[in-house]
Amino acid sequence: MNAALGTAGVVLGTAASVLGAITMVVGLRGRRPSLLRLGRSYAWLVLGGALLATFAMQSALIGHDFSLAYVARNGSRSTPVFYTIASMWGALEGSIILWVLVLSCYLVAVVRRFRHRLDDPLVGWALMVMFVVSAFFFLLILGPANPFTVVSGAVPLDGPGPNPLLQNHILMAIHPPFLYLGYVGFTVPFAFAIAALVTGRLGEGWLGATRRWTLLAWGCLTIGIVLGSWWSYEVLGWGGYWAWDPVENASFLPWLTGTAFLHSVIIQERRGMLRVWNLSLVMATFSLTILGTFLTRSGVLDSVHSFTESPIGPWLLSFFALVVVVSVGLIGWRGDRLRSPGSIDSPLSREGIFLANNVAFAAFAFVVLLGTVFPLVYESLRGEQISVGAPYFNRMTMPVGMTLLFLMAVAPVLPWRKASGELLRTRLLWPAVAGTAGMALPVLFGARGTAPVVAFGLASFAAAAALRQIVLAARVLRRERRPVLGALVGRANGGMVVHLGVIVLAVAFAASSSYTSSSQFRLDEGQSASVSGHEVTYLGMNEPRVTRQKTVRSARVRVDGDQVYEPALNQFPNATQTIPTPSVRSRLIDDVYLVLVAPPAEKGGSALIKVIVGPLVMWLWVGGAIMAAGSVLAAWPTSRRRFEPTPASEPVGAPSTRSESDDTLPDTLPDTLVAP
Amino acid sequence: MRRRAPWFVMVVVIAASLFVAAVGDRSPRSEADRVDAVSSEVRCPTCRGQSVRESNAPAAQAIRGEIARRVRAGEDDGTIRSYLVSRYGEKVLLNPPRSGVGALVWALPVAAVVVALAAVATALRRWRGASSGVVPSVSDRALVAAARSVKDEP
Repeated sequence: MNAALGTAGVVLGTAASVLGAITMVVGLRGRRPSLLRLGRSYAWLVLGGALLATFAMQSALIGHDFSLAYVARNGSRSTPVFYTIASMWGALEGSIILWVLVLSCYLVAVVRRFRHRLDDPLVGWALMVMFVVSAFFFLLILGPANPFTVVSGAVPLDGPGPNPLLQNHILMAIHPPFLYLGYVGFTVPFAFAIAALVTGRLGEGWLGATRRWTLLAWGCLTIGIVLGSWWSYEVLGWGGYWAWDPVENASFLPWLTGTAFLHSVIIQERRGMLRVWNLSLVMATFSLTILGTFLTRSGVLDSVHSFTESPIGPWLLSFFALVVVVSVGLIGWRGDRLRSPGSIDSPLSREGIFLANNVAFAAFAFVVLLGTVFPLVYESLRGEQISVGAPYFNRMTMPVGMTLLFLMAVAPVLPWRKASGELLRTRLLWPAVAGTAGMALPVLFGARGTAPVVAFGLASFAAAAALRQIVLAARVLRRERRPVLGALVGRANGGMVVHLGVIVLAVAFAASSSYTSSSQFRLDEGQSASVSGHEVTYLGMNEPRVTRQKTVRSARVRVDGDQVYEPALNQFPNATQTIPTPSVRSRLIDDVYLVLVAPPAEKGGSALIKVIVGPLVMWLWVGGAIMAAGSVLAAWPTSRRRFEPTPASEPVGAPSTRSESDDTLPDTLPDTLVAP
Repeated sequence: MRRRAPWFVMVVVIAASLFVAAVGDRSPRSEADRVDAVSSEVRCPTCRGQSVRESNAPAAQAIRGEIARRVRAGEDDGTIRSYLVSRYGEKVLLNPPRSGVGALVWALPVAAVVVALAAVATALRRWRGASSGVVPSVSDRALVAAARSVKDEP
């Protein structure tokens, strides 16, 4: 029943996507607007198919329908309903259902948003691309990754349940949907970029149409990545949050190119330049989501997340190749129309710094991509396996990260076109003072090591520059008697809030990766140990808690003579390994992370406990939250008329009365306002 | 001169902080520090990508114990690493090799950045060359001056 329902949904989705794509092409070639407007109906049909497939899968999972092979492999009667629902995206086949569900939601959102422009060829081609992408993923479900196959032989009475690591924490249910909202969301700018190339409308129209969509995808991807590292910190029990694991890298790569795009797009909007580069970044971002899915889902790389080896690899790799060939081919074909009219006069200008920013982000992405695939390349060349691990990525990306922090400090104060040294000296004085203090104060309080101290200094420098922009924007609003909170809204100001989030995250990253101390103790009941000024006392074990889902053995550990924490070991009935559940005391200054490595061999014996003290770890999540809030603020609609002349209060022709888009705010201020 | 004074002070403070931060970091390493340093670059063979320093897996604990024993016996870091490679293969080191084909993974990014910067520099020079063809004429300057004088009057 569920299998039939699900397959019906997938067939509906496939048919609607294929017919939608064909209808679009026919309508576009024959210039028939009535056909183009049919795109709306097809989009809803695709969503219907995806919803039906999702409903069938959930009904099978929740109803323990073990006649479905997917449920037989990933479900179990002892798993709580919450994790049963989440197990739809716990393994490959189910996660493709989530993919098409998200994609069809985006598809419907696009036809809703552009409902008055459906006969516009740009929108028509974009819809065509989205239909093709959705057809591909539906075919993936019909073909190599079918979650609705039925078990052969007798229907089992129970299943092993999801991977134990995936039924241990609530974040597991939230992190993948956000990641997919981000991953899949980049389909929209990609579709419009292809549409712009095909129609030859390569001006700034398609950028304007997709700005918020890119921001939405980017924001969701950011949240997904931060939640993923939080999950890894709370669940995996090694005290870290970012391991440069191929799956993490696969989500980070589109984030890097997407971030580069969000910045370089501003140059194109303002100066009409970098058209090829921006198109390439959008194409790269989308193809990296496909490549990332290939790397992590095909089982070619050794990683925590590639649970299964599956025949899906060749499909994804072919699709990736198709995307790359079409993108490069279209850009080459339209090469003559892509020549940009503008020029950059001086490296010391806003556009010059954005250029440097793009070099840095491209280098960052290159290092991450190279490091991720290099073991494969090496093995195929030399027949020998090597590792490219965290020490490599940390060493190679650190200089790039520092450069980005520096650029983040300088970029907001630079005007377009050209800056003078004098202007920089004036505008950067207070940020530089803050940066110096941010470097000197930690050293005074005992921080050592060049890398973290430089990072603190650059972060303070950048934070002060971002705050300066927000304060200046607030002053203008106050002068104009408008709500001062508007200084946080709009692309430029929201962008500054995102910067502040990145800075908070960077400081937390620098501190926690440089100053974390970790020790392991064998403690008798009542015995204490001390790590970095924190005292932990082992009080004893709790009675083992046996449920149908798992057996939990937890220790009671008192931290700093205060509260008691209970790190635990989980034994799942169908798994041989034990999964530790760390217990963390989070404070603003540092986290005390407790892991029960080994319970006492006999009752009342000594337990092996690992204590990790990580400074500022909590600020990683705070920084992520600020970034998410900032992207919402940046997408918030602002009134276009904000900078129109207000003759009553402004002298005619004064710089602040120029009518400009909102990202030019700093330049429109006279320097007298800026000077201390 | 007075306007530059704060910048001189800042340069001095930054240099002093960096000096203290760098020198303070170079205290003689204890045996425990060395064990941590070596084991954070060794892969836990039964885990996925974690180092033996971080991992709680029995295999990781065993390798960490072996590293600690060899550090106490006075072996230097390189000797310990080559022992581990001879025992577990090149894959046990989280840092890719720095010689042969493996060196590419270190060198390529550096080369790519150099090429990218060179390309940007060339493009900038070309753009400047293109835009410098238009030199402001005397009347342009007069227009700008006139506009400025209007603006400066209240």
